[in-house]
Amino acid sequence: MSADPAGDGPPLQPLAYRLRWRPHGIVPGAHPGHGEGTEGEFRRHVSLLRHPDPRRLDLRASLRDPFGELHVRQYAPRRAVPVAALVDLSGSMRFGEAVAGRVADLCALIAVSAQRAGDPFALFGADAHLREEKCLPFARRRGQEEDVRRRLAGVRPTGGQAVEGLIEAAERLPARRALVFLISDFLMPASEVARLIDALWRHDVVPVVVEDGLLDVALPRWGLVEVADLETGAVRLVFMRPALRERWRRETRARREAREKLFAERGLRPFALTDPLDTEALARRLMEG
Amino acid sequence: MSWVAGAWQSLTGSWGVDHPLLLGLLVLAALPLAASPLIRQGIPSVFLAPADGLSRAVSLSLRLAGSVAILAIVLGLAGLHRREQMIARQGTGAHLVLLLDRSSSMDNSFADRAPSGDQEAKSVVAKRLLDDFVARRARDRIGVAAFSTSPMPVLPLTDHHEVVRAAIAAIDRPGLAFTDVGRGLALALSSFADDEDEASRAILLVSDGAALIDRKVQETLRDAVARTPVHLYWLFLRSRGAKGIFEEPPPGENTPQANPERHLHLFFQSLGVPYRAFEATSPRAVEQAIAEIDRQETRPITYFERVPRRDLARPAFAVAAGATTLLLLAKLAERNLVRSVPTAAAARPQPAVRRAA
Repeated sequence: MSADPAGDGPPLQPLAYRLRWRPHGIVPGAHPGHGEGTEGEFRRHVSLLRHPDPRRLDLRASLRDPFGELHVRQYAPRRAVPVAALVDLSGSMRFGEAVAGRVADLCALIAVSAQRAGDPFALFGADAHLREEKCLPFARRRGQEEDVRRRLAGVRPTGGQAVEGLIEAAERLPARRALVFLISDFLMPASEVARLIDALWRHDVVPVVVEDGLLDVALPRWGLVEVADLETGAVRLVFMRPALRERWRRETRARREAREKLFAERGLRPFALTDPLDTEALARRLMEG
Repeated sequence: MSWVAGAWQSLTGSWGVDHPLLLGLLVLAALPLAASPLIRQGIPSVFLAPADGLSRAVSLSLRLAGSVAILAIVLGLAGLHRREQMIARQGTGAHLVLLLDRSSSMDNSFADRAPSGDQEAKSVVAKRLLDDFVARRARDRIGVAAFSTSPMPVLPLTDHHEVVRAAIAAIDRPGLAFTDVGRGLALALSSFADDEDEASRAILLVSDGAALIDRKVQETLRDAVARTPVHLYWLFLRSRGAKGIFEEPPPGENTPQANPERHLHLFFQSLGVPYRAFEATSPRAVEQAIAEIDRQETRPITYFERVPRRDLARPAFAVAAGATTLLLLAKLAERNLVRSVPTAAAARPQPAVRRAA
């Protein structure tokens, strides 16, 4: 990938994102928050008796009312929402240089978007344990995307399964609801994935599935391939032949369906991180909330 | 533990290597368990690849081929061989001593003249026929002795027929002067002195004439024959004009001095051992005589076959070559798991992130 740790490339275009929920909190931000405020996003008209605040009296609406009731404008306060990216740094993520490439791209893009929206952004990288040197605390400062990219560019994922580390990261998230991008290849067993997602129950989780379409498409018809697990180091010789290739693809499809079912059961809509990062699909997904 | 020692003994007894220190390299045969000739290609999870019995079998056989190749190369380098062995076998044949006349008259033809044209010298005929004879009797132990003025030991009893045939090939060298049958016969008998085998023993005397045997030598011969019973064959190459051994000479001429061949024949008959004389007047007759001897001397015999040291380095290297060929085929059949990555990366447009800027 052309990820540029030095950060002298063209600036990233921040994406807008919407939430389907109203964040709590007191820090002003860009998202229509919980509760009622005196400014922010217009929500509705209520009667003056219900909201006795004559300063917000909407004369035009009051005059239009045939019953002559006085209407007061009510606003949703604009609040900031913490945005976190939880990156799986287990050995399996080494495949196709995903972390230094598209994952770094994605995280930098999220960071710059959050910064533009006035939301604090934090990065957590974890393999079997949380890796402090791959973490960035919640911050709202400018230029954070370069930090993010620098952290992820030099990373060489070697560790074991990342579920424990990601659960540790989940414990560090704020106690109020946050927008969490969970970036992993989700190749761990389904029960582990379920445990991880359940640990993030409080938050709005966007599972970002690092997919390797290439692996599937470019399987050879005939030949010998010796594959080594990047995570455990287990070696397996595969004698590729058309029947086996079909089986391989069938199993991959079945695994993907099982994963999507797991997400759907918990009301999550995964985002497939293709190579390269498809910014338009991401923007669409984020605007859907 | 004793059976281990026994197995080790039997193993080292018949097998050996030239450079035992090199056998330390046999440890390397464990290497293919850890590595394979194929390039390991990273994959996020090994469970992505479906479990497959055929693949496992191929994998196992490749590892095995690697081990076998290393084993065979090391054994070949160490010079594996089977040691020289003696194997006792049963066959039919005899212990035979060829007693050859090297007197100068053997260089003449059957017409008792220097050979010319298509005539053959008696020694040449004897050589050719004896050579055939030895070639037919592969299981015999054969010794060679010659006599002229004095007896000449040429070969003790031996299994090496090449040597015997070489000795026979040398009998047409120009001969020496006289004929001393008696001492020659004593020499031939002494060849059997240290032969304790149960096999039938025979002496084949090939001569074209005879001479008087000394009384004392006659006594010695009788003694020796009594100690070592032998079959006696006399192939008498009778030249034209020479007196026959079966003919009763006219009275008055029947003296050993006048008729030594006849009297030698009588002496042999009086020895009390199986004896046959063949009077050969032409090459064809000689052939018939030898065929007759060939037929008579077919008693069971225990003989030792020497199996020479057999070098197994070449077969070992051949096995190694076969195993390596298998590995080479596997290497040639190797494919990249993600073969289009470089081209895809090259053809890929700038990342959309950048393009958006």
